[in-house]
Amino acid sequence: MIEDEVLKWKFKCGSTDALQRIYEKYLNRLLTVAMALLNDTEAAEDVVHDVFVSFAESAEDFRLAGSLKSYLTTCVVNRARDRMRANQRGPVRLDESMSMSSCSDTPEQEIVCSELAQRLNHAIAQLPDEQREVVVLHLKGEVKFREIARLQGVSVNTTQGRYRYGLDKLRSLLNGEVEK
Amino acid sequence: MKPVDRVEEAIRKRLDFSASAKLRDRLLEDVLNAQKKSKAAETKPEIRRIIMKSPIAKLAAVAAIVAGVVLSLALVDRAISPTYAFEQTLAAVADVRYIHAVRRDAAGQVDDERWIEVGSDGFQVRYRQDNPPNRLIIEDGETVSVHYKDKNTIILYDPEEKQYQWIANLKEWLNELAGDGSLTIEQNVGYWGRKAHLVRWLKLNIDCYIDPASKLPIALAGYEVSYEEPPAGVFEIVIADGVMVVDKRPGAESAEEPEWLAAKSANDEIASANFSNARLALAAGRYGEAAELFAKVVEVQSGRNWAWFWLGKSHYELGQYDAAIHEFSKVIEMFADSEVVPHYCHLARGLAYAAKGMKDMAQKDLDVALPIMIDALRMIEGATLFDYADDPLYRGLSESERPGAQQSRVMMVNRLRIVSGQSFGYDPDASTEANEQAIAAWEQWHKNSGEIGFTPDAELVPIP
Repeated sequence: MIEDEVLKWKFKCGSTDALQRIYEKYLNRLLTVAMALLNDTEAAEDVVHDVFVSFAESAEDFRLAGSLKSYLTTCVVNRARDRMRANQRGPVRLDESMSMSSCSDTPEQEIVCSELAQRLNHAIAQLPDEQREVVVLHLKGEVKFREIARLQGVSVNTTQGRYRYGLDKLRSLLNGEVEK
Repeated sequence: MKPVDRVEEAIRKRLDFSASAKLRDRLLEDVLNAQKKSKAAETKPEIRRIIMKSPIAKLAAVAAIVAGVVLSLALVDRAISPTYAFEQTLAAVADVRYIHAVRRDAAGQVDDERWIEVGSDGFQVRYRQDNPPNRLIIEDGETVSVHYKDKNTIILYDPEEKQYQWIANLKEWLNELAGDGSLTIEQNVGYWGRKAHLVRWLKLNIDCYIDPASKLPIALAGYEVSYEEPPAGVFEIVIADGVMVVDKRPGAESAEEPEWLAAKSANDEIASANFSNARLALAAGRYGEAAELFAKVVEVQSGRNWAWFWLGKSHYELGQYDAAIHEFSKVIEMFADSEVVPHYCHLARGLAYAAKGMKDMAQKDLDVALPIMIDALRMIEGATLFDYADDPLYRGLSESERPGAQQSRVMMVNRLRIVSGQSFGYDPDASTEANEQAIAAWEQWHKNSGEIGFTPDAELVPIP
C-alpha cells in the first residue's frame, strides 16, 4: 500500500505516469466490481470510464487519507447505484442476460472473462441489491464490513447479516454448477 | 471445486473480468485527455480578476451586491415568520458534532444514555452507551469495550467485528425519511413544557419533536436528545484493577472466556437460529412449530418484541386466544413508556379479543388501530408496519420484492373487511374514481360509528 501512497501524492502533483499506473493497477478490478453489480458489459464500461475520467479531473482537489482501492471501488458503487436508479431496475437478471452477448464468445468482445466467472456473475445478479453490494464489495473490492456499513448507512451487524444471507442464496443458486 | 462450501473462494479467485486491449487503450486515452484538459484549465488566467479590472464591471458588481442584500433582507424577513420546514432541520443536523440521547423508564430513571461523536461524514467516530446498572459500552475509535458490571468483566472487540450504535447517520436517516412522503408536521405543539414542532412519520410510526430555535430534534423515537460537548473522558476505555478482561480482538492473547459468556454467546446463537426457523414455520403455516420456537426465543431474549408478537400470532392461528392476548399485551407494554404506539399489535390483540367474543375490549384496541388503517388507504406508507407484522419474512425481502402500493392497499382493505364486516367494493382492477368512492366509504364508516363487526370469513379482495 506504500506504492498507493506514493501514487496518490504523485497524481496530486499532476503526474501522468502516476495516473496511468493507477489506471492499469485498478482497471480490471473496477470492471469486475461494476460487472458484478450491473451484469451488463456496456453499463460496466460506462461506469468505469466515468469513474476514471472524473478521478483524472479531480487531481487539484484530490485529498484522500484512506485507501485508494476502497475509494475507487466506492466511486464505482455510487455510479452503479445511480445507473440502476436511473433505469429503475436492478442488474440484468439471468433470463435477460442469457440473450445478451456472452463476454467471451466473440473476438470483438470488450470485456473478457471465463465461463465460470459468467456463471458466478449471473448468480450474483439474482441477489437483492443490498446483499449483492455487500458480497461484491467484501469479496472483490476487499472493502471492510465497517466501510460497507457506512456506505449503506446501516450497522456492521446488518451488513454481516446481508453478507450471510447473500452467500446462502448463492450457495443454493450455484449448487452443482461450479466445478473445479 | 465443491460449490456449497466454496462460494466465497470462487468469487474471490475466479470472478474476474478484464478489459480487452482495445477497451483498455480507448479508456486510457479518455482518462489521460481528461487529466490534460483539467491541467490546462488550472493554468487559465482567473477570469474574475480580469473582469473586475473594468470600471463598468465593478459598477455592475456593486449593483448586484446591493440587489443581493435587498433580496437577502426579504428572505430574512420571511425566515423570522413562524413557518417551519423540515429542510431547516436537515441543515441544522449537518453541523452536529456530538449527540447526547437519553431514555427514561416509567419511574423517570435513565435506563439508556448514549454519547456519540459524529465525524464529518455524519457517521459515529466514538460512542458510549450506558445501560445502568449493569452494562457500559464504549467505542473509542479503535476498540469496542463491553463492560458487564454484574460479572466484573470487560470484553474487548475489534470494531470491525462488533459495533454498537444509536442511529448510524442521523442526517442521512432524516434525509431518507424526508423523502419517503409520509412526513407530517404540526407546528408549536409543545413537548413537556418546551416549545416544539412535531414531525411524524406514519410509515415508521416515529415521532420527532423539533426545537423551533435551533431546528434540531429534541426528542426522537423515545429518546431526549441534546448536542452539547461531552465531559472529558466519556469515550475513554478505563479498565479498573480487579476487572477481568476478555480480549477478543484479532491476535490478542486473552484470559479464557468465562463460562457465563460462552453460554450467553451459545444462547444468543441458538435464539437467533430459532428466530429464523420460527419465522419460516409461521410463514409456512406450521403454527405449532412456530409457537414452540418463538417461545424458546423469548425465554432467553425477553426483550425481543417481534418474537413476542409472532408468538402471539402463532397462538392466535392455533385458536389459543388467551395466550395470544398475553403475548400481544407484552409488546404493547414494551412500548408503553415511549412515544411509539404499535398499532399493528393493537389490531392483532383486538382481533384476539373479538375472536373470544369480548367485543368491548376488542373495540378499545381497534379504536387505536383503525384511524391509522383507514388513513393508510390514502397514505399507503402507514401500512408498512402492518405488512411487516403480517409477513414474518418481510425483513428478508429486498425493496423490489416487498408489496407495492397497490398490494399494500388491498391487504389493508382486507384487514378492514375482517374487522368491520363491511365491504365497500374496493377492486384493484377498477378505476381510480371507483376506488376513491370505496376509500371515502371507509372514512365515512369510521366517522359515523366505526363499530366493529368481526368477520373472520369475510370475502377478501385478491392481492394483485
